[in-house]
Formats: sequence, C-alpha cells, structure tokens
Amino acid sequence: MRVSLNWLKEYVDIDISAEELAHQLTMLGLEIEAIERPGAEISDVYVGKILSIDPHPDADKLVVCKTDIGKAEPLQIVCGAKNMKPGDYVPTAVVGAKLPGGFEIGRRKMRGIESQGMMCSARELGMGEDHTGLLILEGEPPLGADAKTLLGLDDVIFEVSITPNRGDWACMIGVAREVAALFGKTVRIPAITMTESTTPASSLSSVTIVDPDLCPRYIGRVLKNVTIKPSPEWMCRCLIAAGQRPINNIVDITNYVLLETGHPLHAFDYDKLGENRIVVRRAKPGEIMTTLDGEKRTLAEDMLVIADAKEPQAVAGIMGGGDSEVDENTKNVFLESAYFTPASIRRTSRQLGLATEASQRFQRGADPEMAVYAINRAADLMQKLGGAEIAQGLLDEYPNRIPVREVRLRYARCNLLIGTDIPEETQRDALLRLGFERVKSDDESATFKAPTWRPDVSMEVDLIEEVARLYGYDNLRVSLPQVRQSEMVFAPYEAKVRQLRRQLVDQGLTEIYQWTFSCPEDVQRTGLDASYMNMVTLQNPLSEKQATLRSSMIPGLMNNASYNVNHGVADMAVFEIGPVYRPVDGADQPEQRLCLGMLLMGRTEEKHWSSPQRSVDFYDLKGRVEAVLDFFGQDAVFNGVKFGPFQHGQSAVIVTGNQTIGYLGKIAPPVLKAFDIAQTVYVAELYLDPLLSGGQQANQFQEIPAFPPSLRDLAVVVNASVPVADLMKAVYDNGGKNLKQVNLFDIYTGEPVPKGKKSVALSLMFQSGERTLTDEETQKAMDKIVRKLQTAFEAELR
Amino acid sequence: MKEQIEALRSTALEEVAKTSDLRALEDARVKYLGRKGKITEILRGLSQVSPEERPVLGQAANKVRDAISDAIDARKEVLDAEAEQQKAASEAVDLTLPGRRPRKGHMHVINQVTDDILEIFFELGFQVAAGPDVETEYYNFESLNIPADHPARDSHDTFFVKPGVVLRTHTSPVQMRVMEKTQPPVAVVVPGRVYRVDYDASHSPMFNQVEGLLVDEGVTFADLKGTLMMFVHRFFGKDTQVRFRPSFFPFTEPSAEVDISCTVCQGKGCRVCKNSGWLEILGCGMVNPKVYEYAGYDTEKYTGYAFGLGVDRIAMLRHAISSIGHLYENDMRFVEQF
Ligand SMILES: [Zn+2]
Repeated sequence: MRVSLNWLKEYVDIDISAEELAHQLTMLGLEIEAIERPGAEISDVYVGKILSIDPHPDADKLVVCKTDIGKAEPLQIVCGAKNMKPGDYVPTAVVGAKLPGGFEIGRRKMRGIESQGMMCSARELGMGEDHTGLLILEGEPPLGADAKTLLGLDDVIFEVSITPNRGDWACMIGVAREVAALFGKTVRIPAITMTESTTPASSLSSVTIVDPDLCPRYIGRVLKNVTIKPSPEWMCRCLIAAGQRPINNIVDITNYVLLETGHPLHAFDYDKLGENRIVVRRAKPGEIMTTLDGEKRTLAEDMLVIADAKEPQAVAGIMGGGDSEVDENTKNVFLESAYFTPASIRRTSRQLGLATEASQRFQRGADPEMAVYAINRAADLMQKLGGAEIAQGLLDEYPNRIPVREVRLRYARCNLLIGTDIPEETQRDALLRLGFERVKSDDESATFKAPTWRPDVSMEVDLIEEVARLYGYDNLRVSLPQVRQSEMVFAPYEAKVRQLRRQLVDQGLTEIYQWTFSCPEDVQRTGLDASYMNMVTLQNPLSEKQATLRSSMIPGLMNNASYNVNHGVADMAVFEIGPVYRPVDGADQPEQRLCLGMLLMGRTEEKHWSSPQRSVDFYDLKGRVEAVLDFFGQDAVFNGVKFGPFQHGQSAVIVTGNQTIGYLGKIAPPVLKAFDIAQTVYVAELYLDPLLSGGQQANQFQEIPAFPPSLRDLAVVVNASVPVADLMKAVYDNGGKNLKQVNLFDIYTGEPVPKGKKSVALSLMFQSGERTLTDEETQKAMDKIVRKLQTAFEAELR
Repeated sequence: MKEQIEALRSTALEEVAKTSDLRALEDARVKYLGRKGKITEILRGLSQVSPEERPVLGQAANKVRDAISDAIDARKEVLDAEAEQQKAASEAVDLTLPGRRPRKGHMHVINQVTDDILEIFFELGFQVAAGPDVETEYYNFESLNIPADHPARDSHDTFFVKPGVVLRTHTSPVQMRVMEKTQPPVAVVVPGRVYRVDYDASHSPMFNQVEGLLVDEGVTFADLKGTLMMFVHRFFGKDTQVRFRPSFFPFTEPSAEVDISCTVCQGKGCRVCKNSGWLEILGCGMVNPKVYEYAGYDTEKYTGYAFGLGVDRIAMLRHAISSIGHLYENDMRFVEQF
C-alpha cells in the first residue's frame, strides 16, 4: 500500500523526518519497503496567471501567452495547449527549472518567437497521465508561490508492506493510529457535519439479509439528486498519491473513504435497483452476472451476492455489477457499507479468480463499527462535493453481532514468554495506547477488550506480542537457552547421508542439485519402462515439462548432461542425492525414496601436463558404485540385465541379498540421440534407503599373522565368455582354509592367446595363523584349484 | 731404498689429489695399494735388503701405505660429494610446474551452506529431523494454525497433488511431525526442499529452507534472540548487525523477521538491500499455543521458539550469486566455482 505523508499528517501530528518515521514504523511491524519522493526532481515551478493569449504569427498550432508570476515583467511563453483562457492560473516553469526525467527548461525560440519558460500539464509534473492540456489550478492561489508545495509535489510516499493479520493497517487512519500509539499522540478523525432530509430512508428502500452467516451486518443509505462531476483537486491528489485514477466524485468518494478508513463501500445507482431495494443472499445455482470489469460470471451457490428484488447486482464484498453502475446520468445513489464473513470472501475471490481492493480488506476482517463511520463520512462528502440530499437514517441490519473479544493478560506470563522484565504499568500502557480498553484487573493480571478493528487478537499471546512490539523488539533482553534434546532420534540416517556426500566429493565427483520436477515425456525419452510412468502428478504445474515429480534420477541426469554438452562441457563426473517419488494406491502421500544418481562422461582425469588421457568406461562407474557399497559395508552382485536406458551388455542390476538396490550402465545410443548428446555416457542409480537401514557393524580386529605368507601366481586361458567373478569364486572355494587372498592382476586377449579365448592372471596368497606353510602344502592346494578350473571352465594353464 | 719409498709417497699423494672421478681414484688405488701395486712391490723387495734395515724400511713402507690409503679415503669423500651434487643437479625439476593433485569434486553450494548452518546449531545442541516433500494440508497448514480460507495461505502459492495433498510450502510441517512423536524437550533443525508456484528472476519453484524448533520449560523470546544472534555472528561474522522486526506467521506469536546489515555495502545502502542497509534473512517467533494444542502439549508448562532460514538467499548473499536461476541450473561452470 502507498501512504502519502502529507495526507497522513491530516490525521496525526508527525514531527520527525520521513526516514526516521519509516524506521520507527518498520521496527513496529509496519514495514516500509521503499520511500518515494515523486516531486524530488522538480524545481523552479511557480504559480502563474495567464494575462493574454495571442496567435503565433508563423505557426497555427502555437499561441503566445503573457504569464504573470509575480515578477515586475510577465513572461512571454510560446505554448501548444488549447484548454486555457486568460485569467487561468497554471504551474509555470521558468528558465532553469527542472522537471521529472531530468528535463531542464532553457531560453529558446519557437518558430522565431522567444519563449521564457513553460506552462505545465499534469503529466509534465509527474502527476498522472493527463496531457490533454495545461493543469489549470483551482481558486486564486498566490502568484509566484512554489507550485510544488501547492500541488503536494513535496510529498513523501511510503510503500508499505502489510502482514495478513493486520488488515486494519491498510488505511490512513490505521497507520495514523499506529503512529499515535508509538509517539503518544491522538488520532484526528474527520468530523461529520452533513444534514439529513426529512424523508426517511426506510420509505425509499429496504435491506433484507437472507444469509446472516455470510453477512452479519449490512448498512445502506439513500442519497437523492446527486450531481456527478469530477472530484476536487485535493481529492484527486490523494487518490493519485495512493496509486489510483480519479473517475467521478461519487466513485472517487467511495475509493477515498476506503483509503481513509479501510472500509470498502459500494455505490449503486438507486434507480437501477429492482424495486429500489437490497437483498443479501447466496447466489442461486447457475446464476450469471456481469461484473464492473465487463466479465460475465457464473456464480456458485456458496457465493454471497447483493441482489435487488430480482437479480444479483454485486458479488458481495468483491465487485459490483455493470447493471447498477453509477454513471454520468446517475441521479440517486444507494450507498452500501457492510461486514462480510472473511472466509466466505476469500473463497469466492479465489473461485472467481478476482481479487480487488475490497476483497483484500474484507478477507482480512473488516471493522463492523467502522462500517457506520465510513458510510456517514461518504454521505457527508457526497453532500459537500455532489450536493446530495441525504435521506434520513441508516438502513442498518445487524442480525449477527460480531463479538467483542475480551482477553486476559497475566503480567508474569508476559515476562516469562519474552524473557524480559517489563513493568506492569508499561504493559498496561502499551495496550491502552493501542486502543485496548481495560475492563477488569487484579494484582497479577488485567483483562482487555480488543478494539473492533483488531480481529487478530484473541489470545493472551496476542496481547503479549502487542506489549513486546510497542516496547521494541530491540529492547528485549538477549540470552542463550540451555538446549535439551529429546532422547528420540528423528532422522537417524541424515548424518550418514551428509558423510556420503562429502566422501563422493572427496573422490572427485561434483554434486548437482536439481528440481525434483519431471514429466512423462522425459521418462519416455530415457527409455525407462512403463512402471516409471506411474508418477506423482501436480494439479497446477508451472509447465508441461514440470508436470510431475520424478520417478527416477536418470532423466534429470541426462537433461543436465545435455545442457552442459550444449554449453561446451565435455567431461562430467557428477552425482546427486535426492528423492524420487512413486504414488501409492489408496494413500495420500507417495513413497519417497532417497536415491543416489551418478553420471560419468568424457575423460577420467582433468588434463595434466604429465598424465595420459583416458576416456571413462564401464569400470570407472562400477568402481564408483563399489566404493559406495564399501562405504555402507555392503557386498553386492552385478547381474546383466535388460534395462531401457542402457546398452545391452553394459547394463547391470545391483543386488544385495535378494534386494535390487539399483542399476548402472552405458547409456544406449538411441537415448543419447534423444538427448542430443554425441558422446558416451555412463549412469548409475542407487536406492539408498536399504543401504542406510542395512545396519553396519563395527569392523572387528583380526590378529596380525605371525607367520609369513606363501605367494603363488596362476595364469589360465579360458573362453572369453567366462565371467571372471565365477572363475575367482571357484579358486576361493577350492583353495582350502589357508587361501586368504585372490587378486586379479591381468586380463589379456590377442596373440598368442587363441581367438575367442582370454588369459586371466591371478595372484594367490596362502597363510596360516599357526605355522609357516610348507611348499608341498601350498602346491597341493594349487593343484586342486587347477584341476577344478580345468574341469569347470576347460581352463588351460599358461 | 729409503729415497725410493719417500719418492713413492709424494708421487702417489700427488696423483691421488689430482684424480677427478671415482674411477681414476680406483685406478690409483690399484696402482699403489693393489696386489700388484707399487707398495706391494716394495714390500716384496724388502727380502733383498739387510736384516738390520728390513724393519726400518718395512715400517717406512707401511707408513707410506697408510698415508696413501688415508689420502684415497679423503679423496673419495670429496669425489662422492661432488658426484652426489652432479646427480642432484641432473635431477633438478621445474618447481613451477603444477603438482599432481588428487581429483576433487565440488559439493553443491546449497548443501555447503546448509551444512554450515546445521553445524552451528549442532554445536548448540540441536539434532536433525526430516519429513516428506509431499505433505498433507493438515501438516502443511491446518496444524500450523493456517486453516482453510486463512489469508496467510495467499502468500503460500501452493502446488497441489490432489485435494488435501500439497508439495510442502515450508519445512514447518516437520515441527508438527516431530512434536507428535514426543513430549518436550525438543530441539531440532530441519533442512529440506520446499515448493511454491513462483518462478521469476528472484523465485525458484523449488528452494531450500532450514527450520529450527526448540520447546522446553522456560524458553523465552530472549533465548530466540540470543540463539539467532549467535548464529548470525558465527555465519556472517561478528561485526554483522542484527535486528528483529515484528512480523506475522500464523504458527508463532510473537513473530519476528530478522534483518542483518547488508553484506554488500555494510549497511550504507546499495542495490542489493534496496538502499535500506538491511537484508531480511529469516522469520521466527515463539510457537503459537494453538500449535501446541494440535501437538498435545501443555500450553502453560511449555514454551518454545521456531525459525525458518532461506538457504538460497543466504547462499546468494555469502557468495554474491546474482540470480537464483543459477542455483538449480547445474551448469558445470557454475557448480565448479564453489
Ligand atoms: Zn546494501
């Protein structure tokens, strides 16, 4: 909300600088986000009076004026405007004057005639958009006076951010109340001096509330013989300062009173209301009305409307209807001031997708008492500015009284909660200054009636906050708590996950952090099967590309690789730890699994002057996965599998026990193509939950062997298709109890190994904890191994 | 004979001193001290001198042998040292060439900042808690005193999964999930992803928060101030100014927003702080008794505080990151800067 300081000063005395006031209000919770000085750039613009207007000898569209600015000689000014006449008062910029936008007035000739300044339009002074002619000043302002002050261009505008609980702040009187409370001043509420006619309003109209649950109070007034015309300049200036556009006196007055009191009003054309009366009711199913913005709106049964005898004329508290709109032909006005149930307004506003100044205020909770002042204030102004005859009396229906809340404040409780000793006197005083009324008190507490504009106050803590706020948060004590933890552990695996993340980084992987959004199309592009298409879908996604939550990390990793390849990055070794989601039938919440995704492409190492370059392959990725398994103290087997995203033969499922914990492999060429990547990519996806919950035992010490090991190498030639893991397992199983280690140290194909065969070289370590092994013992074990390999794998010794 | 011996000494010593490498020295040793060397030759020749002269000359010859041997040893030390120096010189490396560093990756800046935040609260005695990204409206709103049709819901532009189920708009639902599990004391910090339907230069639809909750007997607003001031001073440096401004959150009362003196201009006013000199970094307050009612806590016995930090904003401030868009784009040229 925009708050004009000049306007605010009409309600409360302010004797500090704008900056200081902004700071104080901010520290009170009324946050001033920006301070604006609309006329800051303007200088040397004075009140001038046009003495004469003569045609320009050489230009049809220009005139030559003599304008008196209170100096000895009038100024000669060449001008293109047409709306002025001799005797008009206008803002006049002299030579050397500065206008908004860094525009400076110089002495110049226009079509041969010297011009000694410029007479200004509203737009040229930064006062709105009007550029149809000069800004003609009202009345007879003193010649040569500073036009900037006269026009309020010395004003300061605060851009105020208002929290949702403090709807009462969203008006001039609301801000003035806060200023008054802070500095111990009083708020000046404009007096109402209207005169009512002898015709009772009840003889001209009536108000019927059918649904008091949605409209606890409705007040109407009837005003006859109104003259519709533009509003006076002072009112326009206030509206413009608040960021609004003046329309006509009746509409402007309702807007002005809204800005002043915070209470929304609505003016109906009395003669356009069926039977000239008001019925407040829920809409009928399928009822349609056209709102002031020209939209045709279908109403629902739970929406409240203001109807006449026949049909809806306004969506209650949100927007009026076109049929009963006040226009230049309006003679008689029905003025509405009501209190609508906040939740109902909010619901309707959301359903219609229609938020207005009025709806914003009603949904935060209006002041049912301010409703009376506001309608009287508006009537008063319509009489003064539009000559309205005000019918006698209010049509005030108040079937559901809004309860006044009484809340007890225990002084000790206040101090206990805020940890500062604030004297009882100070606590009471703070609340009284804020408009609370003390209804009873005893030694340790006092009970206060909350002001009608404070629907947010209902509990003792609300009062405590008010005390703390006025006392100043910065003045409250500072201490450190004795932090006691629960004995319960809430996230047993978080520390382990953080540790894993650090370890992966230390091993040379870079972490990425992606949005968890995905879409079915990306799942398809990645080649994942239909089970991955079962995704958590958003009802209101930002875009089709972000319409679901990810069911796998692989599409995201591929998108990221694609992005980086497109930006010239060729080498990537990245990982992400994060959730993937899967809907669960019959449950509100999906299954959320913690995943580790890894992607490798390009070279294994950064370029270095001394190191040879090598491209990553399957075993680089497998080694990363094995390191993760080691981290969790888990063993796994890697079984060949057909998995959509991966190329067959370089695609494995990772299994521990009988549980699948992930996949790894080389991305298949069609998938690479779909992501526009022209290089080899390896990806792994691991489910961390089973690894985290697998339980990890502390390593148990093994006695360091006292006797030397006996070492043997073994090289065999087998069919190329024999899995080395099977071969090694056979070695272990047949090596006897003294075989402690088997290491693979070479795989070789090519000459002299026959085609279709490979040579596998192993080093074996035999060791006993009891004695030194003899050569014969070791040889016996070796012979058994070799025999087994010969029979099981047709292995030939090399 | 005697003269011959003395002459041998001076020639030998002279020759040893002249040797320029270990090989020449070895040749000299063989020449004088070897089995067929000059000393041996003289000692053999002693059999032809008179028995009276024999011991005298023998002694003289032995002395010369010892002197030559000493000279060779000494010369060897000198030559050894020279040889080592030469070898070292030939092995000298270009000290300016870059070393072979173990490859190290980069932790994402969001997790670096989150870890640094958590570390401070761990030291103060908080433990970590977590909750799901997809939440029910009950946990995300209702139990936090944000009933349906409450205007505070307007500021939470919510992604819906289905009626009553949302992507959590803040980490606060974990407060209720923790409190449901146990009676006080409770001291937790909750890092996590949160979601809002908001995407522009300064908003990301997914971002990160760290939530804090402390509930026990006698926890005060002063404790809240103390805790967060300590956090700010540890994280941003002890010269950072901190201010607490009244604000509004449905689940805390009293509520506050915390500003720190601008990290860019040190409070003088600049574009980042919109000339105010202050930057808002978190919201906090004393837990609203209505929340305790949902949790089944005794509202008289227990008090507590809660706070929520925007990790993205803090990361952007600490590292002078110009746009929130960079954080989740995962451009390697960005990620590898941290
Ligand atoms: Zn700054």
